[in-house]
Amino acid sequence: MKLTRKEIVDQLKNIAGKDRVITDEQVLKENSHDRYKKFETIFGVYTNPIPAALVKPADTKQVSSILKFLNKNNINCVARTGGTATEGGLETIVENSVVLDGSQMNQIIKIDETNMLATAQCGVNLGELEDRLRKQGFTTGHSPQSQPLANMGGLVATRSIGQFSTLYGAIEDMVIGLEAVFPNGEITRIKNVPRRACGPDIRHVIIGNEGALCYITEVTVKIYKYFPENNAFLAWALDDMKTGFTILREVMVEGFRPSVARLYDAEDGVQHSFDQFAEDKCVLMFMAEGNEHVARATALGIAEVVEKYDGCRPIKAKIIENWFNHLNWGPEKITEERELIRKNLHIGFTTEVSANWDCINTIYENALKRIKADFPHIDDLTMLGGHSSHSYQTGTNLYFVYDYDVVDCKPEQEINKYHIPLNALIVEETLKAGGSMAHHHGIGKYRTQWTRQEHGSAYYILKGLKDQFDPNGIMNTGTIYPVEPE
Amino acid sequence: MKIAVCFKIIADYDRMSEKDWEWDDRHFIDISFVRHIFNCFDESALEMTLKLSKQLENLPDPCELTALTVDDEQGDLFLKHLIAIGFDHGVRIQCDGRLDMRFNSHGISNLISRYIRQEGQTLVILGYQGGDGDNGQTGFLVAEHLGWPCIREVIEVTVAESSDLLKVKSRIDGATLVQRVKLPMVLIMGHSLDSPYLRVPTLKQKLNAKKKPLTIVSSTELGLDNDALHSKDKTLMDLHRHNPGKSCVFLEGKTAQEQAKKLYDKYLKQRLSL
Repeated sequence: MKLTRKEIVDQLKNIAGKDRVITDEQVLKENSHDRYKKFETIFGVYTNPIPAALVKPADTKQVSSILKFLNKNNINCVARTGGTATEGGLETIVENSVVLDGSQMNQIIKIDETNMLATAQCGVNLGELEDRLRKQGFTTGHSPQSQPLANMGGLVATRSIGQFSTLYGAIEDMVIGLEAVFPNGEITRIKNVPRRACGPDIRHVIIGNEGALCYITEVTVKIYKYFPENNAFLAWALDDMKTGFTILREVMVEGFRPSVARLYDAEDGVQHSFDQFAEDKCVLMFMAEGNEHVARATALGIAEVVEKYDGCRPIKAKIIENWFNHLNWGPEKITEERELIRKNLHIGFTTEVSANWDCINTIYENALKRIKADFPHIDDLTMLGGHSSHSYQTGTNLYFVYDYDVVDCKPEQEINKYHIPLNALIVEETLKAGGSMAHHHGIGKYRTQWTRQEHGSAYYILKGLKDQFDPNGIMNTGTIYPVEPE
Repeated sequence: MKIAVCFKIIADYDRMSEKDWEWDDRHFIDISFVRHIFNCFDESALEMTLKLSKQLENLPDPCELTALTVDDEQGDLFLKHLIAIGFDHGVRIQCDGRLDMRFNSHGISNLISRYIRQEGQTLVILGYQGGDGDNGQTGFLVAEHLGWPCIREVIEVTVAESSDLLKVKSRIDGATLVQRVKLPMVLIMGHSLDSPYLRVPTLKQKLNAKKKPLTIVSSTELGLDNDALHSKDKTLMDLHRHNPGKSCVFLEGKTAQEQAKKLYDKYLKQRLSL
């Protein structure tokens, strides 16, 4: 028999203590969603079932006890830390869900300068960890725009990536060891070693699980020496994205590893004011960093590659440096964004995909063409464009960006009228051309209809993980895995 | 009704760090690497005017909106934006680049009022002050040159009974004043947290705006040469860094509740009881 809301709350208080179980209605409402539903929630509309409670565990042992209780009683658990998710992964779509918020497990456990490791609990804010490391002359190399707000647990759970990924890699390249708790209460620790050949790399069961398999309680990441004085910015204006992708590829294939390698189309560039420096042009930019010899050689080498291409006009490095230094969004930018949405009924979202070099431009062109042809409310769009911001030897990502006026619809209708269909058109065109539907935001709850198509025959493995580790299906229902019809 | 909204483009000073504030022999600061934005007072004026023009649509006298700036080519992008969102004309008054107009409200107001008179505008709306010179004089001087009445700290303008009558809401000494005014008139916009953001053009509007030409008028075409525009009443002598001196108090306390209580007792209680 299912427990009532009150019984759930009472039992949680017994496990974690009453101060750690929050039932304030407004707090619960705010924890029933993430940034995917930012429009309706700004207007005070909350369409997801309100969770039974928000629990802030004190330690791993409490996480284990709570999960054991939820698992035994078939209660859906939504893992949360910084709350900056963008794809609906934090939505509580099941009645009487429990939100397990690790933000109070916020101790930096160790900074190990010999082995170049930093160990932090799941609720440690990345910005705080980074500040602490920088004071000691180090960096994690991880710098997503959400850095001032995001916490370590969520960053690992969503397979996040930062703005310096081309040099430092994404979170999966940084994580050395982990501690996680599975729904049956099992606490698992993966030890910190540089590499090993002892069976499959089990870190990857945990990294990117989006709370659908287990709860991450502790993370150990690599750290690097920090040399900001050697940063070198380079940028060019050019006519088209196709040439930009070709140059990006050449830079990567030649073996250069800038920390930043970005290519903006002219439309996307406008919202960053690039049109003030390069009107109607695409902008290609790089940042070289690290040891002074490496940084200098990287900058020189990249300039040599780009300047072989006709029509690339250099842009003053200081423009890019100034822009880049103001890219992160902290609480003040979130407040400003909310005000703008509320006053102007105007909002913007992104869909990030990836693909190999041979089809990335096809995806870019086809997705934009498809939206212009098939999206019924195209007249409400104020921006439609994209950029590449993370490149690899084999390909790159594409960040489609779309802004629109919300016209003639209730707040709760916004996602169905605009966001979901736009997202779908991009995902469909990406999968059709052979790309991946989610580069670094995770699948969340709004791309699960394509999870099987994304993985193809390998879905067998993905499904096996769910069957093995969460047989009762209590971990973040509807995330990564589609909800199966009963 | 012919309405002109005067606006200014300024560097986004929030994006300049302390080390960026270096000036040359003429006291010019290099802002070429920083994005430019609408001055916030003018942004409010522009959006409010678009809302007003919507109300005027149903009146027999057609409303004609002009966006006017005194700037070099960098102003064109912003004028195109304004044309895309509904302004009928984008006008840029070009001065000799050698003139320092930053603190020259006299010169700027002279240029604006000449153009307003030449084009037979009946309502001029502008922001209270620009973010660089912070002069706060241009609006008043425009009214003086034109010999028109003006209202400052305007927060809202709506249509009254006929198209030559407007209802103007403004702030005065902590109160709100509502007046019915007859045109011609100069309105000087204030800015507050409630001020509107400028709307964003749709893709279609941006495309259509590209086809519309801008009007570029030189200062000499308005009968004002460099000598006439040169600021005679003041000369910039020097610039100094202002060091406001930051102070910070750390609230000690074992728990958040304890810290919050200290914050309330020491710093908030007194203010709340005022």
